[in-house]
Amino acid sequence: MKEIEEKIKETVKKLFKENKIDIFIGYSEGTLPLRSTPCLITRPEDIEKLVWNSYCFNNLAVYLPRFFLPQTQKKDVKLPRIGILAKGCDSRSIVGLIKEHQLPRENLYIIGIPCEGMIDIKKIQDAGCKMKEVEIVSAEEKNEKVIVENEDKKKIELKKEELLADVCTSCKYNVPVIYDVLIGKEKRKTKEEERAAIIEEFEKKPLEERWKYFQEQVSKCIRCYACRQACPNCYCKECFAEQTKPKWIGVTDNISDIMFYQMGRIFHQAGRCVDCGACVRACPVGIDLRIFTYKLIKDVKEFFRYEAGVSLGEVPPLSTFKSDDKQEFITEP
Amino acid sequence: MENLKLKIIKKKDVLNFLDSLKEEYNILVPKEKDGDIRFSEFSSGEDIPWDYRNTKISPKEIFLPRTETLFSFKEGTLTPSDSGGVFAPANEPKGSAQKTDSNKRTANYLIFGIRPCDAQAFSLLDKLFGGDDFQDPYYLKRKEQAVIISLACNKPQITCFCTSLKGKPDNEEGSDIILFDLGENILTKPITKKGEEFIENLNSWFKEAKEADIEKKNKLMDLSLKKICSGVDLHNIKEKLDEAFDISLWNEIHQKCLGCGICTYLCPTCYCFNIIDEMDHETGGLATSRGKRIRCWDSCMFSLFTLHASGHNPRPTFKERMRQRIMHKFNYCPENFKEIFCVGCGRCIRNCPVNLDLRETLASLMSFGSMSKDKKV
Amino acid sequence: MKNIDNWEPKIVAFLCNWCSYAGADLAGVSRTQYPSNIRVIRVPCSGRVDPFYIIKALQNGIDGVLVSGCHPGDCHYISGNLIARRKFALLKSFLEYIGIEPGRVQFSWVSAAEGGRFAQIIEKVTREVKELGPINKMVKKI
Repeated sequence: MKEIEEKIKETVKKLFKENKIDIFIGYSEGTLPLRSTPCLITRPEDIEKLVWNSYCFNNLAVYLPRFFLPQTQKKDVKLPRIGILAKGCDSRSIVGLIKEHQLPRENLYIIGIPCEGMIDIKKIQDAGCKMKEVEIVSAEEKNEKVIVENEDKKKIELKKEELLADVCTSCKYNVPVIYDVLIGKEKRKTKEEERAAIIEEFEKKPLEERWKYFQEQVSKCIRCYACRQACPNCYCKECFAEQTKPKWIGVTDNISDIMFYQMGRIFHQAGRCVDCGACVRACPVGIDLRIFTYKLIKDVKEFFRYEAGVSLGEVPPLSTFKSDDKQEFITEP
Repeated sequence: MENLKLKIIKKKDVLNFLDSLKEEYNILVPKEKDGDIRFSEFSSGEDIPWDYRNTKISPKEIFLPRTETLFSFKEGTLTPSDSGGVFAPANEPKGSAQKTDSNKRTANYLIFGIRPCDAQAFSLLDKLFGGDDFQDPYYLKRKEQAVIISLACNKPQITCFCTSLKGKPDNEEGSDIILFDLGENILTKPITKKGEEFIENLNSWFKEAKEADIEKKNKLMDLSLKKICSGVDLHNIKEKLDEAFDISLWNEIHQKCLGCGICTYLCPTCYCFNIIDEMDHETGGLATSRGKRIRCWDSCMFSLFTLHASGHNPRPTFKERMRQRIMHKFNYCPENFKEIFCVGCGRCIRNCPVNLDLRETLASLMSFGSMSKDKKV
Repeated sequence: MKNIDNWEPKIVAFLCNWCSYAGADLAGVSRTQYPSNIRVIRVPCSGRVDPFYIIKALQNGIDGVLVSGCHPGDCHYISGNLIARRKFALLKSFLEYIGIEPGRVQFSWVSAAEGGRFAQIIEKVTREVKELGPINKMVKKI
């Protein structure tokens, strides 16, 4: 980890020295244990702040579209050149954004990092360290272990692989699919089938049970829009949830409106979601979003043999068609 | 003399005590649900999580609900909602009708076990909703009848910085009664007249506090105060911010903000709201004259917050909105209400998806200007 | 919930202007009887139908939604219905997964010459929606 961190800093220093980028987006140390925070660097002296560890879970691609908004560009102002640190999932988000013409590829310098998985803080609770009662005040990563110290000054050693987020344990593309330079090489072995298995299990449940689960989950929603804001794919200038002409939904926490919002946002990701988990992590009330988002990913793969964010050349599935697309669902008299 | 008012109740008697008040009061206690704590209706037999740190969503939702019906209208007549309506318990499945319209129970709230920072937040919101210029009947009807019993903090969190904002683990501002968890016993201290009368009327449940109890409480509070290790010196933040509207630091502060509403929604002192009309499609489709006027939370961090009907938005980017948030809490509110609208509860820090730390932001603002390279833009 | 006396489902039918709407028109001109539960909304192409229209209809208390377009290969706009086919395959699968009864949202291909077939499809859809009963999931109550 430390090695990779040093290499990242070296590379960024070089990029600034050779004037190849104006801004670099990476991670720096967070103010809470087990957290790193996104960091935008414009001055070479800030490069020392950069870190790389197992808390770097934020999807940095979400910061890119705001630099290339058409309305903020004046005629003779040059577009900024942005360097960015990209894990596997982040790189797939970047591919998606380039495909949808939100980012010019030539203005990006991508440092790809094969990711070994990011820690999910909630899992530390499962690992026997009840955060609500006894708080973690500091944490240290040591190879395959994470040593946390709680407020009673007790040190607990935990295995990192037990703390990895679900989205990471079933990750298929930990090596970035697009990069200008790659730091690190390892392709991790992960349980890719796990996620699809969970969806299949859920599909077997009776209809009413599935509806009940959906209702339960979305009734927690407070419409803070963190899921939407954290998602790199949600870059619409005006979201359907806030449109007044037409008014799709209101702004209250009426359960029907919340369901429409969740269904709508997730369905808008059809063929675009790369399963980065940013929405799940951002959600303050812990809605189980992946059981719904992954269903769409699975369907798109099954029906159209397409995976989002893997190849720049592939046409998005809902912009094209094949003559043998399945149509068993069509009603016949 | 003060110490004469201090009383003791055994922790194990508290549940029965609350049970006895169920008829008279609508009792709200912290309850665990889905891994988080939230204020909900007290049910007999369910224990209070005495060691809980703090709720995820602040208890401001009791007096300023996420969604609240102000009145309903039907074919030209207006029906005010039961504005003292009960707060919807967090663990009831959301059904069809707005629960704030329910007039099943009295609206005498008993908020039991709130943290002192949240109680302090109520006293700040009182200045806004119950000030000289304007009284908000919906907020006040709920609040005026409420008895607020706070629970002093034995174990502050690493994100707590109440001491930077006139707070402390046993802060009394905003509470009617404050409780101290001594282990087996709970020490009670009335603060307001309402609190005193409350304990007087229920005297049979309490015993006089002994010297030992009081000493234990003092010790716990000393330890607790020492545990608060993070803070920012904010003694002249208002004056500093008076000169800070155009500084270049704002260009950096907002950079990692995603623009969601988590910090504002979870904050106990954020109060911005939106008022909308919702029409009742059930009965008449689009051309109906039935509906409700509803107040719901809004957030200055949303891009539409200041969108004008003309299409112009005076706060077009995250920079202006972040600046607004900080200025509002730490400059405009001190200007208008003589109080900083922050109590140091740390919820925004804990829950921000990108770990944008308010303490860091405030520290940079306080130290800005002391370095020669900082300039106005 | 099965048949309630005197309850008739409300069904919204999005019909593409060039084929399905013409087919419906032909059914009318030919005096073919079919259930009168449907309310027709004419759209230029089935590809125009935003999934949100369907969800909004359910929210407003509509018991069933039908989207009907040209047969694959016959679209007046060449490929509108073919894109729609993909979109609706996903939508139908997603709605069922979430727990909305599959019979409520249906899709069909009806050409301008198929007046009889249109009537048959309406009969089938109405029958199936009637079986399911009035909608209560997703309905917005304020």
